[in-house]
Amino acid sequence: MIEFYSQIKWVHVAAVLASGAIFLLRGLLVQLKRENWAMAAPLRYLSYSIDSVLLTAALMLLTILPHAMYANGWLTVKLVLLVVYVVLGSFALKRGRTPRARLVSYILALLTFAFMLTVARAHHPLGWLVWAPG
Amino acid sequence: MSTTRKLWLGLTALLVVSFSILLWAGTEIFRAAPPMPERVVSVDGELVYSRADIEQGRQVWQSIGGMQLGSIWGHGSYVAPDWSADWLHREALDVLDQWARSDFGAAGYDALSGEQQGTLRARLSPLMRSNRHDPESGTITLPRERVIAAANVAAHYISLFGNDPATATLREAYAMKNNTVDTLEHRRALTAFIWWTAWAAGTERPETMSPASSTQPQAARVTYTNNWPSEPLIDNVPPPSLWLWSVFSVLFLIAGIGALGWWYAVSHSREDGTHTIPASDPFAALKVTPSMRATAKYFWVVLALFLTQILLGAITAHYQVEGQEAYGFALAEYLPYSLARTWHTQLAVLWIAVAWLATGLYIAPALSGHEPKFQRLGVNFLFVSLLIIVVGSFAGQWFAVMQKLGLEYNFWFGHQGWEYADMGRFWQWYLFIGLLLWLTLVGRSLWPMLRGPAHESKSIIALMFLSTVAIGLFFGAALMWGEHTHISEVEYWRWWLVHLWVEGFFEVFAAAVMALIFTRLGLLKTSTATVAVLFATIIFMAGGVLGTLHHLYFVGTPTAVVALGASFSALEVVPLAFIGFEAYQTFKLGHATPWMARYRWPIMFFIAVSFWNLVGAGLFGFLINPPVSLYYMQGLNLTPLHGHTALFGVYGMLGIALMLFCLRGLRGQMVWETRPLKVAFWSLNIGLSLMALLTLLPLGIMQLIAAIGHGYAYARSAEFMQQPIVELLVWMRVPGDTLFSIGALALSWFVLRLWVMPKREVPAGATELV
Repeated sequence: MIEFYSQIKWVHVAAVLASGAIFLLRGLLVQLKRENWAMAAPLRYLSYSIDSVLLTAALMLLTILPHAMYANGWLTVKLVLLVVYVVLGSFALKRGRTPRARLVSYILALLTFAFMLTVARAHHPLGWLVWAPG
Repeated sequence: MSTTRKLWLGLTALLVVSFSILLWAGTEIFRAAPPMPERVVSVDGELVYSRADIEQGRQVWQSIGGMQLGSIWGHGSYVAPDWSADWLHREALDVLDQWARSDFGAAGYDALSGEQQGTLRARLSPLMRSNRHDPESGTITLPRERVIAAANVAAHYISLFGNDPATATLREAYAMKNNTVDTLEHRRALTAFIWWTAWAAGTERPETMSPASSTQPQAARVTYTNNWPSEPLIDNVPPPSLWLWSVFSVLFLIAGIGALGWWYAVSHSREDGTHTIPASDPFAALKVTPSMRATAKYFWVVLALFLTQILLGAITAHYQVEGQEAYGFALAEYLPYSLARTWHTQLAVLWIAVAWLATGLYIAPALSGHEPKFQRLGVNFLFVSLLIIVVGSFAGQWFAVMQKLGLEYNFWFGHQGWEYADMGRFWQWYLFIGLLLWLTLVGRSLWPMLRGPAHESKSIIALMFLSTVAIGLFFGAALMWGEHTHISEVEYWRWWLVHLWVEGFFEVFAAAVMALIFTRLGLLKTSTATVAVLFATIIFMAGGVLGTLHHLYFVGTPTAVVALGASFSALEVVPLAFIGFEAYQTFKLGHATPWMARYRWPIMFFIAVSFWNLVGAGLFGFLINPPVSLYYMQGLNLTPLHGHTALFGVYGMLGIALMLFCLRGLRGQMVWETRPLKVAFWSLNIGLSLMALLTLLPLGIMQLIAAIGHGYAYARSAEFMQQPIVELLVWMRVPGDTLFSIGALALSWFVLRLWVMPKREVPAGATELV
């Protein structure tokens, strides 16, 4: 499988960006009071499909890369943040009872997503903080 | 004579004739089974293997999970190779290597020119195919080259089944744990058994080697396994009889479809439309008796077993990409592949069976309105027994596969190694007694209806009761073999259990229960339903009983078995070609009256049963059914393609439909939040489709092309299965399997909410629309 490493990683990264972009769009639609559009079936199913591709590629990477790569715990942090992101995302799109709750959840979800990206890029639990001065 | 009476007589005659032929075929199989030698010796008289070695080897093979780790004669699992085909190929190559060195001074067979290779291959085929078994002394005498080759292949296997670093990569590719077999003595005995299965697969039957037949072309001469597996090195190719009966099986199928089409056209033109549908749901007023209420826990266990089965399926599939680990965790040390697969396949049968048992226990008092004394106690006792059987048999299998049980008690309490009949004999007896208790419980509830005065539903109820008797008694087939019974005979009885249960009596039970449900709901006229069910039973049994033999083409059986199996199993597909009628009828009934909306999701699952009957059982079943197809496809990924889509698609969906129907009665007074059911329905169906179309079908086709082009051993080899494209296809299961798991969780959530913090329906809710 290592033969396909670069392709699988490419698929994973593309799916991450697509998934984030769709969430960004759906959150915006909710903020613009277009909840019906945000929850439209084609958009939801597209999102599910992209997320399953993302998950598959992630599991494949997990088995083909050496386990030493995860020794410092960056993957664990990313997975914990994934749960946080999913919960926040759910509140941003549907479960938030007030517009303010949905807005706050939306912003926090995007920040979590961005931080996860930096954790993945840095291969470090502190993400972008590793590059912070001092 | 009434139509119903004629149909009953027809069914009785059919069953008598079919079972007589099936029993006769059994005697033929026992007569023509490959001989078990007393001694295997070299031409110099040196002992190679004794009968005791071979028999102990089989015990060892059974203790490690048998068919759940690789396969023998094509029956078993798909990650490790087919050991018979693998041994045959390795032995043939070893002989060729020996000759390349002695005759041409070359390093090996691969180093020779094409012409030289051809010369050696021409010598190899008669050497391997000649039958050197002396029936008088029970001795097989092997030429020196084969003795050396057998020793070399045995050394490889001893290394493979142990902990030798030299074969570590191969063990990982085959999803075998280190020290699969615990001792050197047992590993050596295992090689004796595998050698014997390969010998039978490569050695011609004596009757095809008689002087009269020696002029026959090579292709007309068959080995004990009807030339299975495909092995070009020794001219193991499909014999003419396989081609012939494959062609005829297609003809029978088309003729059957034509005949049934004619019958449908005639009978549908006779239908009258005078039936009146009740104004409200007759089951809404159903009195739920204590024993019916006691079946609720069966359904909770059904879901628990279903979820566990899915988890074990995910683990089993994952072993195909990481043979001993799960994301870095050394899983094989605690739950090796063969155990995960054993439990996965066994749970598939168990949860579906428990759903059906519970349906029988629920529906019998519901139909008769009769609650016999101590019925609830019986239902509860059976429930506890089922739990003990599941936990006890699984524990025994764990100890067996982890090689902590030894061989002495393995047959009774450990792992029998026969796929779908894996549990130890003690547990099989316990389950048999449990099934007898079940049919007693169902029978005593139905008794007032069965022995009372004649009434319209009597025939359908009698048919349902007879199918419960058959389900109970036919499990007895699993008790027909012993620890040392010949493998061909074991296979014969094993398929009585697996095939006759599934494609015979389950089918009858399902048809009768569905007809009863619809007649009791007042949607179908009882007389119409009776004729339809009896006719359907005759049609299913016409192909189903003798269709059993289609599993036995290559397990050491004579050509007659191929002919019967091919012809009658093709007829099994005939009613499936018309399943659209049934699906449309079910759909129509689901919309026949506003109150049927209460049953929308059971109806949807019934329709899914029809869909998968056509696709999983009909299309994917017939794909591998003709003898020449199965010759190449048996044990490739096309087999689980049929297995998953037919077993879950048909019987799993039916189990869920029946469960939902029973829950309508048990928890009908609660509000049914049906959104999770919608999620469950679509996720399970789409998930199953994705598994079939993204992984099993393409991978199976790739293997098929390899098997036809290069021989069966190659299609199952690590060399083929470890290709990146194969691994990629296995990974393609993730989206479908994830979706499927979501469906199972949604279904469980729905059922959980019927008991945990449910909302009570308002009184007028008997006509709640869902």
